[in-house]
Amino acid sequence: MVEGAMGRVIFDGPGSGVWNMAVDEALLDALAKVPADRPQAILRFYQWEPATLSLGYFQYLAERESHAASRECPLVRRPSGGGAILHDRELTYSLTVSAGFPQARPSTQLYHAVHRSLIRTLKEFGVDARMWTPPPSNARHAVQDKAHEQPGEPFLCFQRRTDGDVVVDEAKIAGSAQRRRLNAVLQHGSVLLERSPHAPELPGIAELTGVRLAPREFATQWEQALSAELGCSFSPVSLDAETLAAAQVLAESKFGTAAWNARR
Amino acid sequence: MTPDKLLFSETHEWVHLDQTEAQPIATIGITAFAIEALTDLVYMQLPKVGDQLTAGEPFGEIESVKAVSDLYSPVSGEVIEVNSKLPDNLEILNDDPYGEGWMIKVKVTDPAPLSKLMKLEAYEKQCSEEQ
Repeated sequence: MVEGAMGRVIFDGPGSGVWNMAVDEALLDALAKVPADRPQAILRFYQWEPATLSLGYFQYLAERESHAASRECPLVRRPSGGGAILHDRELTYSLTVSAGFPQARPSTQLYHAVHRSLIRTLKEFGVDARMWTPPPSNARHAVQDKAHEQPGEPFLCFQRRTDGDVVVDEAKIAGSAQRRRLNAVLQHGSVLLERSPHAPELPGIAELTGVRLAPREFATQWEQALSAELGCSFSPVSLDAETLAAAQVLAESKFGTAAWNARR
Repeated sequence: MTPDKLLFSETHEWVHLDQTEAQPIATIGITAFAIEALTDLVYMQLPKVGDQLTAGEPFGEIESVKAVSDLYSPVSGEVIEVNSKLPDNLEILNDDPYGEGWMIKVKVTDPAPLSKLMKLEAYEKQCSEEQ
């Protein structure tokens, strides 16, 4: 175990996109205040209600018009990078660690640790997944199909490929992104459980393998695997009053505002 | 510019100080070590001319490998010039981090934070400890 590292896990219910991003950022703000010699990690599992499109931090809002199937869904901009995600029949996690946490850097270390534990957990449920690795001399590879030919990278995260993404055969079923601050790192990611009518081009684990995963049961197993991977045990907790109050402020002053969501 | 003529922050920004004016002008970028650690840069946002910066606070943001990181100002002052070529041509950072890869020029209003900056030797020691 990491000496002094304190881990907590929150099995959260479904929430709106604005609320989910506000909670994740409130957790990031809280862990940014943790002393470097007392590392902490907070793991949170959650879902989205209603189905919501999240934009990567640097994406243009106007790009959503290119994706007709999700046009009626509410939208929120994430604090993290990467492409857009349609959060519907999926499981989202966030892992927030203070800067003193052993795997806090480089960024790829945390991605790979979480994805290795995900692959191990999927195997327990009969799903054979692996980490995608780029062809030689191409660290980042945009997968384009005929339905989505446009310059640059595809709009949807699940149509992109980055070293370490989790795939079943060649279909991406999980990816992660980060917001890095001086004193803490927020990493969150999405596991595609089933195809959504709001992103019908993306098959989920159910369509690819015939395995239907129950989100809470799967999250419980995944938490165990991640604990072993990180060498940090996670104690189950609920969101405390301070975090809830901070998230409420962030939801109203940031993630629910046009100034944030239409900033690009 | 060569690194031995520069000052460095703990957060991997470099500073070139021009002290020929009454108020020093700081040219700021990020170091080759930081660029290599970030690897695959895809987006950057820099401040506007006229913005006021505070030492230790973010002045911009950069995305690499789906991770968005803050860029921290090593000085306090007013932004007087921004390298407008950079956000759309991030390969410049790899090619010439201490020259064409400069990010902003700042008219320094408070010299106190400059004393926290390191010379090359101390910065290289920090980098070797981080590897």
